[in-house]
Amino acid sequence: MIEFRQVSKTYPGSDDPVVKDLSFEVLEGEICVLVGPSGCGKTTTMRMVNRLIEITEGEILIDGEPNTAMSATRLRRKIGYAIQQIGLFPHRTIADNIGTVPHLLGWEKGRIRDRVDELLRLVGLSPDEYRDRYPAELSGGQQQRVGVARALAADPPIMLMDEPFGAVDPITRERLQDEFLRIQEDIRKTIVFVTHDIDEAIKMGNKIAILKQGGVLAQYDTPENILSRPDSEFVSSFVGADRVLKRLSLTRVGEMDLEQANGGTSGLPRISDRMTARAALSELLGSGQSRAVVEMEGENRLLTFEAIEALTSTAGQSA
Amino acid sequence: MLFKILEVYARPDFPEKLRQHVLLSLAALLVAIAIALPVALLIRNTRLGAAIAINIGNVGRAVPSLAILALALPLLGIGFASALVALTALAIPPILINASTGLREVSKDVIDAARGMGLSGGQLLSRIQLPIAAPVIFAGIRTSAVQTVASATLATFIGGGGLGDLIVEGYSSRGPEILLAGALAVAILAIITEVGFGALERVFTPKGLKIAQKRGS
Amino acid sequence: MSNLALLLQDVLQEPQLIDWEWIRENFWEDIVPAVQGHIFLSFVSVALALVIALPVGVFSARYRKVYPPVTFVTGILYSIPSLALFAILISIPGVTIGPAPVIIALVAYSLLILIRNTVAGLDSVPPETIDAARGMGLTNRQILFRVELPLALPVIVAGIRIATVTIIGIATIGAYINGGGLGQLIFDGISRQFPTMIIAGAVLATALAIIADLLLLSLERYLRPWARAGRT
Repeated sequence: MIEFRQVSKTYPGSDDPVVKDLSFEVLEGEICVLVGPSGCGKTTTMRMVNRLIEITEGEILIDGEPNTAMSATRLRRKIGYAIQQIGLFPHRTIADNIGTVPHLLGWEKGRIRDRVDELLRLVGLSPDEYRDRYPAELSGGQQQRVGVARALAADPPIMLMDEPFGAVDPITRERLQDEFLRIQEDIRKTIVFVTHDIDEAIKMGNKIAILKQGGVLAQYDTPENILSRPDSEFVSSFVGADRVLKRLSLTRVGEMDLEQANGGTSGLPRISDRMTARAALSELLGSGQSRAVVEMEGENRLLTFEAIEALTSTAGQSA
Repeated sequence: MLFKILEVYARPDFPEKLRQHVLLSLAALLVAIAIALPVALLIRNTRLGAAIAINIGNVGRAVPSLAILALALPLLGIGFASALVALTALAIPPILINASTGLREVSKDVIDAARGMGLSGGQLLSRIQLPIAAPVIFAGIRTSAVQTVASATLATFIGGGGLGDLIVEGYSSRGPEILLAGALAVAILAIITEVGFGALERVFTPKGLKIAQKRGS
Repeated sequence: MSNLALLLQDVLQEPQLIDWEWIRENFWEDIVPAVQGHIFLSFVSVALALVIALPVGVFSARYRKVYPPVTFVTGILYSIPSLALFAILISIPGVTIGPAPVIIALVAYSLLILIRNTVAGLDSVPPETIDAARGMGLTNRQILFRVELPLALPVIVAGIRIATVTIIGIATIGAYINGGGLGQLIFDGISRQFPTMIIAGAVLATALAIIADLLLLSLERYLRPWARAGRT
């Protein structure tokens, strides 16, 4: 896991710190999202983990050891790194790109080849078709997948991702986010994920660190808590006035406690149990009805406005 | 007339002049590369260094070749060596400009990704920056090569030898076939250099970059 | 640094290298006419080259099939070393030595870069702009002169700059076939073994080239403030 201990960064010649006295912990196997307005130091913070930017004060511990214990180059080969512009090497094939760190670590060729194919399959690209192509031949979405595969190549326990799905259109981005969450369920990496988009943060993060201008930590908590119990004016306005609705997107209909439908389901809209409560609310409002039918575990249950409302009042809300 | 020209090529001193010309050009080019490339590498990370290189390059490109060769005369004397020094000085600017810009034009995102993944400084240079900059660097070498072969013609004026000797001989002794023989030989040599280095440039362009160029990225 | 200063001092004061007396005496007789002749040669050549290159460039940009052969021919002309081209030109019966063949050669050299930059400049005009102009009812001719050429101007001027500097440089060699200009000082200096003339000619030719380069560079920057320095 990754521990930030009173980490500060001030650039020489400047009086104001870019990151101020940051302390928090990223637990193993969790995605911690750093989010905040521009200038809040989220990218700087992430880049201090793999020492692309050096800390001015404080320290960062990885599994208990300071990240300065070894050379920066060796450190980086143990940390996966995926950035928004991807930065694929244009003069190397996709296979070469993905195999970069394993090659640096001295893996033998056969092992690298197998790993490349495995990763291509993991990110949804057919190895036979893509391994010998060049980056210029791929679309933005495909390049972004290769970027993720490249970061995973040496199977690092930790990953740093800076808006890794940022360079594509919203539809592709949503697909990439879903696929990545599915992959993470299997591989359980410890991930520091930077984004400026609060919705992405809520969707992707096990924990969210909201940073204010000047790199000050405003709140570090689960998405649920940030939405239902924002610590400050800043957090609640950053999260948005629709945070109650946002909270609803954290729960799937299938997870809700719904009463059984006892007949009388004709004419009611049907809703899938995979839908989020928020999407379901939208459907219900649009249908003009006050109830909908959901099929769960083989039987029909009723989704009502009251059931949805019950989700929102489980935790007290601040003003 | 054609026969008379061919007769000139059959002269015993022709191969020697050709050899001098090629030697002069090649030597100047190689020394220029040996100077310009390391300098470009050294200054690749500093903005000031790059600005200086570009300015030296631009000024150097504007300087008339004859002027430099002529200046070598009072300063360094006549002969092959002075001509070599002058030609080397002339050959440096295109290589310096292209090597410097080529290296600086490597995408910052690619460099950031490479550093973030754990490539050391040396690996970054040799595996990423140089291969990506190679086509541009090579274009500079090609320009310099063609220019040097052309300027080497003028070495005759300071006693440097080469095919220019034939042109001067033909002009001053009113031997039109000697004049043309010299001119044609130089022209053909220059065109061969242009084509030859053009092919080399294609060889040195990594395949992935050729594809990217075609797609206009 | 002080060693360099001492060396320069030596060079400047060496009576054998620079005879300031001679310069003062012959300034108006030899030096000024040489500068004038050089400017004349260069200016006429650039102007003539533009008269040919601009229409050819516009035509090639429109009818692309013509462009590769045009580039090929002008490329060959460009590759031929200047002294050789002069020699070939004066071998043609009827062509006498003097400024004429020099101008012809200078024009031939600059065609490639001028045509290439004209085409590149026209290519850089956004198609939407032309489309909008057409939609507003401008004729093709008006579009060319009022929209395309003005927008292509920065790139074209960049080409003019390179061509001018090249021409000034090669014009020095033209003195060998009696073309006049600053090269005359250089060649005379070589044959008379008089370094002062060589240095005067060489330094002035270099200065002329650099001044032209800087002037045209400022013009280029004025037309295109976002351009970075040192790019062609």
